Amino acid sequence: MSLIASVILAPLVAAVLILLLRRAAVALALLGASIALLASIALLSDAFSGVTGELLLPGLPGMPLRLIATPLTALLSTLVAIIAGLVLVYAVGYMRQDDEPVRFFATLLLFIAAMQTLVLAGDWVLLLAAWELIGLCSYLLIGFWYRRSGVGSAASRAFLYTRSADLGLYLAAFILIAEAGSSDIATTLNTGGGAAIAAGLLLLVAAMGKSAQTPLHDWLQRAMAGPTPVSALLHSATLVAAGAILLIRTTPMLPAETLLVVGVVGGITTVVTGLIALGERDLKRLLAASTSSQYGLMLVAVGAGVPLAALLHLIAHAAIKSSLFLGAGVFQHGRESTALTKLQGAGRERPRIFLAFALAALALAGIPPLSGFFSKDAIIAATLASPTALLLTPFALAGTLLTGAYMARALRVLWHGDRQQRPIAGLGWMAAGLAGLVTLAVTLGAAFPAIETLLDSTLPVSTLAQVLGLSAALAGLALGWLVPAPRLLGPLLPWARQGFAIAGGFDAWIVRPAFAIARGCERVERGLYAAVLAVGRLGLAIGQAARRSDDRGIDGLIFALVRGMVDLGNRARTLQSGLIHREMAITVVATAVILSVLLATSLFR
Amino acid sequence: MSIELLIALITGAALFGTGIYGALSQTNLVMIMMGVELILAGAMINLVAFWRYLHPDNPAGQMFVLIIMTVMAIEMAVGFGVAIARFRARGSVEMEEATELKG
Repeated sequence: MSLIASVILAPLVAAVLILLLRRAAVALALLGASIALLASIALLSDAFSGVTGELLLPGLPGMPLRLIATPLTALLSTLVAIIAGLVLVYAVGYMRQDDEPVRFFATLLLFIAAMQTLVLAGDWVLLLAAWELIGLCSYLLIGFWYRRSGVGSAASRAFLYTRSADLGLYLAAFILIAEAGSSDIATTLNTGGGAAIAAGLLLLVAAMGKSAQTPLHDWLQRAMAGPTPVSALLHSATLVAAGAILLIRTTPMLPAETLLVVGVVGGITTVVTGLIALGERDLKRLLAASTSSQYGLMLVAVGAGVPLAALLHLIAHAAIKSSLFLGAGVFQHGRESTALTKLQGAGRERPRIFLAFALAALALAGIPPLSGFFSKDAIIAATLASPTALLLTPFALAGTLLTGAYMARALRVLWHGDRQQRPIAGLGWMAAGLAGLVTLAVTLGAAFPAIETLLDSTLPVSTLAQVLGLSAALAGLALGWLVPAPRLLGPLLPWARQGFAIAGGFDAWIVRPAFAIARGCERVERGLYAAVLAVGRLGLAIGQAARRSDDRGIDGLIFALVRGMVDLGNRARTLQSGLIHREMAITVVATAVILSVLLATSLFR
Repeated sequence: MSIELLIALITGAALFGTGIYGALSQTNLVMIMMGVELILAGAMINLVAFWRYLHPDNPAGQMFVLIIMTVMAIEMAVGFGVAIARFRARGSVEMEEATELKG
């Protein structure tokens, strides 16, 4: 099936060509993205006509690498392609003044190719590979301006957070493959029992890392150090979406207990990060916290057992959040900052961009007939219809209320203030990308019935949910517009400003024990070092003792012997007189003595 | 014991005593060597006399005397060589002056 391959290969080949040719980066990037877009739209139309594309590649023995285009994956692939294409158009304008377009566009295209692989992957091995690739690419993209202070640490933090959570995906994949004996995702989804619970919880850990759920949400706000198109892409349809996509795809396998945990994690995240967004002082960080909050809502929908609602919200959120980021990027270029105090009144300078931003914000808050209204209602209806309605519905409503509040706050800051017009380079490209995305954000709601028929499942419909959702959204918007955030948050404000000290909690749970272990290791190491030194000193002492005994003992003995011999010789020398007569006389006397002794003995015999 | 043997023994003892006296009393190296010759001559007369009058059938005594004569000749040659060398070096063969070999 060459269509599937071309969806992935087009951006990949474009990235390689950009790296090789080192010129015409913009044209190649746009070309690659549009080919991928056309191919994925063709896949989607195939899916509509009931054809399921599949591509088998040689992989592990008995476990071929598999790319599949089911209605779900084809839909997600199209979503990724559309958002990526529009963000690329925007990036052409945004990166006009940057001096490294080659690196930027090549990495971005590689990222898109990896995300398409992840979305279309039909087996766990390929999914793992793509999962790692998007982690790597996001590291490269967040750290794109690596010379600026703080960017490197933000990129490393994002990478390490997601990497440590990725362990969950590895373990889950191993459990599932061992249980089912096949790496095919569709086959492994039939797993049940304890393995399904364990694998589901591990998958949740992986999704929490990638989708920045509490308590792993801290990296997402720091990832704002990257260029704005990167933020738009990361937060809408690619990196962060991977976690939710993983859970949506594996929902059929998840037992009720795991679903409950998923829903509670999502609910806590949507409230916690919603409060953080409300207390935030930087527009891009506000949007980042909002992303975590919205993905929390999607997890709530998954937890309620209606992945379709989560999917619809993912699609609507992808378009909405990327348009919000693109609008924020325009304001950022206008004021050279993303701090809310510096952005006061920035909306007034460019009413059209502000209109687009406001439309997206209202869509996120869930105002009809914008797309967010339908998806958010679907989530609330899903929680109402689920067996755990009492637990999950308050989370969903609180999330909706907070969404309205922080979006209204952002709009208010952007609208009230002084105007200071300043020309922006490449505004045309940026406006084109933004316009495309806002159009999607506004109109996607109309496509939801078609998606329902495509995926052959229906959403729970409930008038109560619509009333509750709409009133929560309106109440949130009114609160956010009328009441300043500090008064709204009250005693929670300092907590929210610090991200609920959860980064600190991470610090206390992981970093400090790690440092303590490291200190312990250092102490052991010092002990070992001292022991080694002591052994060395002992050896030296033994050597010196040996030398001393050699010097004093053996040498002394030998020299004493020598001296004794010399003394003996000296004493014996004195016997020698040199006078012949004396020697002769001695000889004669001695001979006479000997003779007389001999004669005497013979006489007395 | 025959009277001839006794006479020969007395002659030998007289030669021996004369030789010892000469060797101990003279200071000249040549004279000392003459004394030593007399000592050896006395010893040889004793040997020859004992052979001739006690064991005339055993030739060992004769052989012994012949060997002593040979040794005497060699001793004379070496001794006079030393004396000549010393006389050339020091101009004297007086043995009281020759104490260089003292240890």
